[in-house]
Amino acid sequence: MLETQTPSFRRAVVALNGGRSDARITRIACELARANRAELVAVHVVEVSWSQPLDADIAGHSDEAQRVLDSAEEIAEESKVIIEPVLLQARDAGPALVDEALERDADLLILGLPYRKKFGGEFVIGRTIPYVLKNAPCAVWVVREPIPEGAS
Amino acid sequence: MTGGGRRPLQGRKLGDKRVRVERPHAAYFRWSGEGRLTAKATVGKPTTATGRVLARVKTALIGTALSTDAEMGERLSKRKALAIFSSDAISSSAYATEEILRVLILGGAAALVLGLQVSILIAVLLITVAISYRQICIAYPTGGGSYSVSQRNFGRGASLIAASALLIDYVLTVAVSTSSAVEQITSAAPMLYDVRVEIGVAAIALITVANLRGIREAGNIFAVPTYLFIVSALLMIGVGVVRIVFLGEGQSYPAQIGEQAGETLQNVGLLLLVRAFAAGAVALTGTEAIATGVPAFKRPEAKNAATTLAVMAALLGVLFIGITFLAVNFGITHIDLPEKQTVISQVARRVYGDGSIPFFLFQAFTATLLFLAANTSFNAFPRLLAILAHDGFMPRQFALRGDRLAFSYGIVALAAVAASLIVAFGGETHLLIPLYAVGVFIDFTISQSGMIRHWRRERPAGWRRRLAINAFGAILTGIVAVVVTAAKAPASLLVLILIPLLVLLMSSIRRQYDGQAEELKVRDDMVFTGPHREQRVVIPVNGINRAVIQAVNFARPLAKDVRAVYVTEDPEDGDRLRERWERQLPDISLVIVESPYRAVISPVIAYLDVLDQAWPEGREAPITIVVLPEYVARHWWDRVLYNQTAKRLQAALVGREHTVIADVPYRRDH
Repeated sequence: MLETQTPSFRRAVVALNGGRSDARITRIACELARANRAELVAVHVVEVSWSQPLDADIAGHSDEAQRVLDSAEEIAEESKVIIEPVLLQARDAGPALVDEALERDADLLILGLPYRKKFGGEFVIGRTIPYVLKNAPCAVWVVREPIPEGAS
Repeated sequence: MTGGGRRPLQGRKLGDKRVRVERPHAAYFRWSGEGRLTAKATVGKPTTATGRVLARVKTALIGTALSTDAEMGERLSKRKALAIFSSDAISSSAYATEEILRVLILGGAAALVLGLQVSILIAVLLITVAISYRQICIAYPTGGGSYSVSQRNFGRGASLIAASALLIDYVLTVAVSTSSAVEQITSAAPMLYDVRVEIGVAAIALITVANLRGIREAGNIFAVPTYLFIVSALLMIGVGVVRIVFLGEGQSYPAQIGEQAGETLQNVGLLLLVRAFAAGAVALTGTEAIATGVPAFKRPEAKNAATTLAVMAALLGVLFIGITFLAVNFGITHIDLPEKQTVISQVARRVYGDGSIPFFLFQAFTATLLFLAANTSFNAFPRLLAILAHDGFMPRQFALRGDRLAFSYGIVALAAVAASLIVAFGGETHLLIPLYAVGVFIDFTISQSGMIRHWRRERPAGWRRRLAINAFGAILTGIVAVVVTAAKAPASLLVLILIPLLVLLMSSIRRQYDGQAEELKVRDDMVFTGPHREQRVVIPVNGINRAVIQAVNFARPLAKDVRAVYVTEDPEDGDRLRERWERQLPDISLVIVESPYRAVISPVIAYLDVLDQAWPEGREAPITIVVLPEYVARHWWDRVLYNQTAKRLQAALVGREHTVIADVPYRRDH
């Protein structure tokens, strides 16, 4: 039987990468969370290169990392939804997101995907989304931004 | 941004590790730019149980706090603004006709029929004033109405007169309209007469709470009764006009009607007409409120305010002329005996039918609207106070917005003054009425005269026509101001005394602020690298204990000269402390002050004086930091047991030259 209603969820992890799709997916997540009375966790992963220890003091001092999470919180406040911001450091964003979603018993993971092309015209999806799609035990939504005018 | 703690976490797979980074600022602040944090609502959350209970009560009464960003959302649409700002003006239509007829009846039936002409003349004045204020809305979109106009065109003196006149009138509007609404209630239920003052104060408290909830919500609360009155009154006029004009149901005044006037009949002279005109002109009060509150409107503020003002004036004009037309053509005037019947209630009875449901509904709507007339003042008064506070003529708190973005201090101040008036006058409206409407016509005259100057200076297209309108308005409102003041004398003269007093008060507040600004001013081309004055520390101690040690440790880096002072009445006690002090705090000098007269505070002050006097002449006086060790009581009820001497000392030191007081609190959990 076809499901025609908006899918519901209890707790969703919203993966924020600091890009322009963050605001879009946060808004969508907030609207749906309000309707479902669901909990939201905004996760931003700062990838640490192998040249530094994983627990190096990087993200805590990064204005950019704070901006990403605080902006999401601001959107949530406007929508009258509570979002828990989580800042992570990891070698790779994909496993960190999946593990965080697992630990928090999330039943949905939402990611944004900007429309980008490689030199030569091939659409780029990156490595985080395929990893999450392959490994996350919960439902995964990937929200791709509209194709910018003239890009297609 | 300060980095928080980091907690390593193991993922599902062995190689998948991640570190969760704590964000200590996140609970209270939001990052809003390089080196800039924005405080969240949680910052103001109370930490004590009592505070939480009080906060809950406050939230229940006035709602949750709104952020400044929500200000645009709190702005008023034209529809809501009409209800908020016009209830005063529109409600005047309920009694303005009666005010005219009460004067004209002195001239008998022949004079009463002139009521319509008088009301038309007042409508012309209304149109003139409304046009003038529309122009003010557009020319002075920051609000403030006549205060802003006169400030720009006449200077400080006139603008403060205008502001004072308006402030007085707003307070009186609240007091008068509330008392008269209570009178309506007590005439319906005479057993409530003894508690009329309490009812009046409670009514003001209700309007206050509604306004503290924010202007938009107040709009929601007050819009319905205003529109119900407007619709039912327009319907009444429509039906009445049809019955008079088309069905010929009108009737004229009986010739002997003048006998009920209770005064000697007068000829229908110019003086009587002028008095009737002045009495009816009360209808214009409240017209200026929109120009005061332009910034409360949605964008484009000036245009929306001007449109709302035009609609309000049109409605008021139609209602006023309409009701007067019906009264005159139905041969209705007020009845005081055997029981009081207002003109509007008789008109409604005639049109809707005595005892009919529409009649009772209309009466209920009218009473509610009269009650809500106070609400216009609750919006205009705090805004005017905020503008005055912004310009330094009123305490700065009045410019602050409360949790719901309303000017809470102004709202509460208005409520307090108006409620005091009701209590002082025992809720008797007629004692307050002579003071009412005097200020507003002084204000109209000043603002229109100001606009004359405005046009002469700006000279835009069509300025001559606009100037002529304002000049005509200024003359008419000036006449009304004189007539209203003379007719209501001697009580009205109180307003003429109050205005200069308020002007004086505001000028002295401004002088105070100017003096303070001058005192604190620093040149903006100076670079301040560090302190150049010497510092010394004096620590009054009561012995050696943890609080004293903490205070001494706090004081050490502040100055080279750190000394403790111990005041005692027992020399042996002093010796014992000195022995211990030299052993435990050898690097801090201790001065023992023996006090055979058992004084504690004055010896410390005297010691500080001596230190000052001993300072070499010619060297700049040092800053003396008095460090007070303070024990923080765990509960509010045992606070009385501690620090009483420190508090007295603090009070004695406040304002002392070159002296800084530093409290060093010691908490038990340290």
